[in-house]
Amino acid sequence: MKQNKINFVNLLKRYKDGWVGISQDHKRVILWGKTLNEAIKKSKEFKEKVYYFPAGESYSNFVGFILTHGSTL
Amino acid sequence: MVVPYSPLPDFKDKIVLAPLLPITFKNGKHEFSTFALVDSGATGAVISTVIADALSIKWNKIPVSHGLSIGGSFRSHRFNGLKAEIYDHEFTLSMGIIEAAAPYKCILGQNDLFQRAKIIFEAYKNQFEIIFRSYN
Repeated sequence: MKQNKINFVNLLKRYKDGWVGISQDHKRVILWGKTLNEAIKKSKEFKEKVYYFPAGESYSNFVGFILTHGSTL
Repeated sequence: MVVPYSPLPDFKDKIVLAPLLPITFKNGKHEFSTFALVDSGATGAVISTVIADALSIKWNKIPVSHGLSIGGSFRSHRFNGLKAEIYDHEFTLSMGIIEAAAPYKCILGQNDLFQRAKIIFEAYKNQFEIIFRSYN
């Protein structure tokens, strides 16, 4: 089974900052808040599950290497 | 299950592709849904403090430990017993709550998702496959 692509470029293009609330099918932004807390408050109006994602971030050149305390190389 | 890489915004109108999964965290009666980066280079899962706040985790009362990333060190607060649900698979994980997490606010790594599922990256196809292990 193949999942649908979640296109954050399209979803976030109208948002320069804050947090967006994305619909359960991951196709629409249904709310925006300047802060995550504000976005969560707005989600009370919706019955569907809301997925939150930050807007205004740039994801270029991320190098993911995270070693948490207690781990060894 | 095959998951296409997600296009993400870059500066100068470029696009970055990344392996992201929808995930719902549960801490008691508190739930929070977002998208997590699947990072084979990460030892363990991390979330940002703002997500911890949304889950009513009193992270600032948890002692600070320190983690390492390619860019230096970061402050982390270890929280055990958080539940995560991905594509109807639920499991409990230990989570590092990190301060000033950017750009990704949620990352899954070797000690959690990679223990629960076989993951095959196919970057040349812009997709990855996730096969959850069966537990009797």
